[in-house]
Amino acid sequence: MAAAVGVRSPADRGQDAVIDVADLRMVYPGPKPGAPPTVAVDGVSFHVGRGEIFGFLGPNGAGKTTTISILTTLLQPTAGHARVEGIDAGTRPHDVRRKLGLVFQRSTADEELTGRENMAIQAGLYGHSGTSVDQRITELLVQMDLGPVGDRLVKTYSGGMRRRLELAVGMVHDPKLLFLDEPTLGLDPQGRAGFWRYIRSLRDSKGVTVFMTTHYLDEADQLCDRIAVIDHGKIIATGTPKELKDGIGGDTLEVAVVPGAPDLSPLVTPMPGVKGVSRREDTYRVKCTNGEHLIPKVVLAAEQAGISVRGVTAVKPTLDEVFLELTGHAYREEGETPKPEGPGESGGDSASRGPP
Amino acid sequence: MMLPMASLIRREYLRWIRAPTWVISGLMSPILYLLLFGQAFDLSKLLPSGTPPSALSAVLSGAPNYFSYFAVGMVAFASVTAAMFSGTGIIFDKQLGILQRILSTPISRRSVFLSSLVFRGILTLIPAFLVVGFALLLAHVPDVAGLTVGAGVTVLDSVQFLAAALVLSVAFTALFLSFGFAAQRIESYFGVVTILQLPILLTSNAMYPTSIMPTWLQYLVGFNPISLAVNIMRMSLFGTAGYAYSAGIYFAGLLAWAALFVGLALLLASRALRTNPAASPSGGALSQAIAE
Repeated sequence: MAAAVGVRSPADRGQDAVIDVADLRMVYPGPKPGAPPTVAVDGVSFHVGRGEIFGFLGPNGAGKTTTISILTTLLQPTAGHARVEGIDAGTRPHDVRRKLGLVFQRSTADEELTGRENMAIQAGLYGHSGTSVDQRITELLVQMDLGPVGDRLVKTYSGGMRRRLELAVGMVHDPKLLFLDEPTLGLDPQGRAGFWRYIRSLRDSKGVTVFMTTHYLDEADQLCDRIAVIDHGKIIATGTPKELKDGIGGDTLEVAVVPGAPDLSPLVTPMPGVKGVSRREDTYRVKCTNGEHLIPKVVLAAEQAGISVRGVTAVKPTLDEVFLELTGHAYREEGETPKPEGPGESGGDSASRGPP
Repeated sequence: MMLPMASLIRREYLRWIRAPTWVISGLMSPILYLLLFGQAFDLSKLLPSGTPPSALSAVLSGAPNYFSYFAVGMVAFASVTAAMFSGTGIIFDKQLGILQRILSTPISRRSVFLSSLVFRGILTLIPAFLVVGFALLLAHVPDVAGLTVGAGVTVLDSVQFLAAALVLSVAFTALFLSFGFAAQRIESYFGVVTILQLPILLTSNAMYPTSIMPTWLQYLVGFNPISLAVNIMRMSLFGTAGYAYSAGIYFAGLLAWAALFVGLALLLASRALRTNPAASPSGGALSQAIAE
């Protein structure tokens, strides 16, 4: 079912895809008449299968929030189509809204209300009320570790509690499709791990499909079944984290030898699976597809040639390297976004998105 | 259809009941006007002594004394002052992202607007009732002027009084709600509201009779929705003598204002809740909020 990197066959399009996006474009008009428009999403196509945790990975300003806003019917796309459960988000937004739950980047709960009241009102907006809803709210509060504070006003909540409440509010009507926009922004490592656990259990126990944006590479790597990497409004790669990492040439072996030893490169380069060897002083970096299997061969060949090996380390590629490889630039940190996502006044406005 | 609206109204109610300070601030000025201005500024004392009560009553549109005349005007003023806060909630909802969350649910855009109008409209009536009660109470305090109502006031008159107060509340709630939908920041909202407050009040007959004004001002005052509502309310309590038109005509005028303000609010609300940034020159408040 999983499509190959960056490619998808016409057969798997639409059929069991919960989300189907084709040639999506979003152009914001310039802030003033005559000002140049901003292309936030530039011809994006992808699909998300049922029960997948699909990550939309990219730096701030890449077009992530715009895409999620189109899929959740909060924005009308300029061109292309976005279908949710086969329903076009642009032409039948009302029907799409019933299908999904949405968790925003920032806290959107009412400060003056309790967690429970926030959830009950959200359920009411979906037309749900009664004792079954009350039960579900209690269940969700417990699942989210909010049981003891469910009847306290939200303004007394900590940052982590607010994030968890946000998720509970988004889940209150029991959606089978959940959109998460930077869900772990501002959570501590423990909070993030707990959050990931809950998302996985949602998928595993209830078959919930999750579409999430993130700019944390490790989060995409550990949590997501598949990832689309987006930069400057374009998808530059799609695939499982493993596929993406394999796609840039797999592992790297770092081989350290004693100083003054003969050159190791001619011995290693012809070995099967080796893509290239570089050397800096007494350390060689061997790019290869099968790091662990190559280690004994390299060590043996070196010893036979009289080169004493001091140590070998197999380095698994990270998505950082994938990003660098794909875009030609390192992963941008928060606030360094050179291109605004929306019709803001200048490029600097993305920095106001909130501290990590 | 009804449950989503009821949920939003419940939300507004819970927020209001937990932060009712604005009720006090909204009531402050009408009460002060009743207690101080209304007591001190008795127009009838300026008339030459020996003026028959009937002549005074004619100037005051049938009211038995100046305070009674003035108190009815303050009922309308209290409503309008309370309505001035109507648009603040929607601005905070926009800024905090709460509006986007609500709009991502299946509730209709019209219900979002209507729930605000219904709740805020009712809220706006509360100060009006309190002013009536307070003014009636003052009539029983020695040495203090109070609202004196004629003995001939019927149930129908009371209904007419209430209907005028309600339509006035809805009209100004809608007007200020529409500013709330249009404004991006609370500062610009109150900037506009503060500019409007005194002209709206002072070009009405809430505090002084139209007959003592210059002709050009009389025209302005005649069309003011506060004047129209106050005319109907005074007719209910003090009789219909001395008015140029019937209560029905004033009511029609008041309804026309209400329709205009509700229409304006609907237009600005649908613009603010629109999801297509290309369709409006300002880009649409919502899409701007998303893009930021």
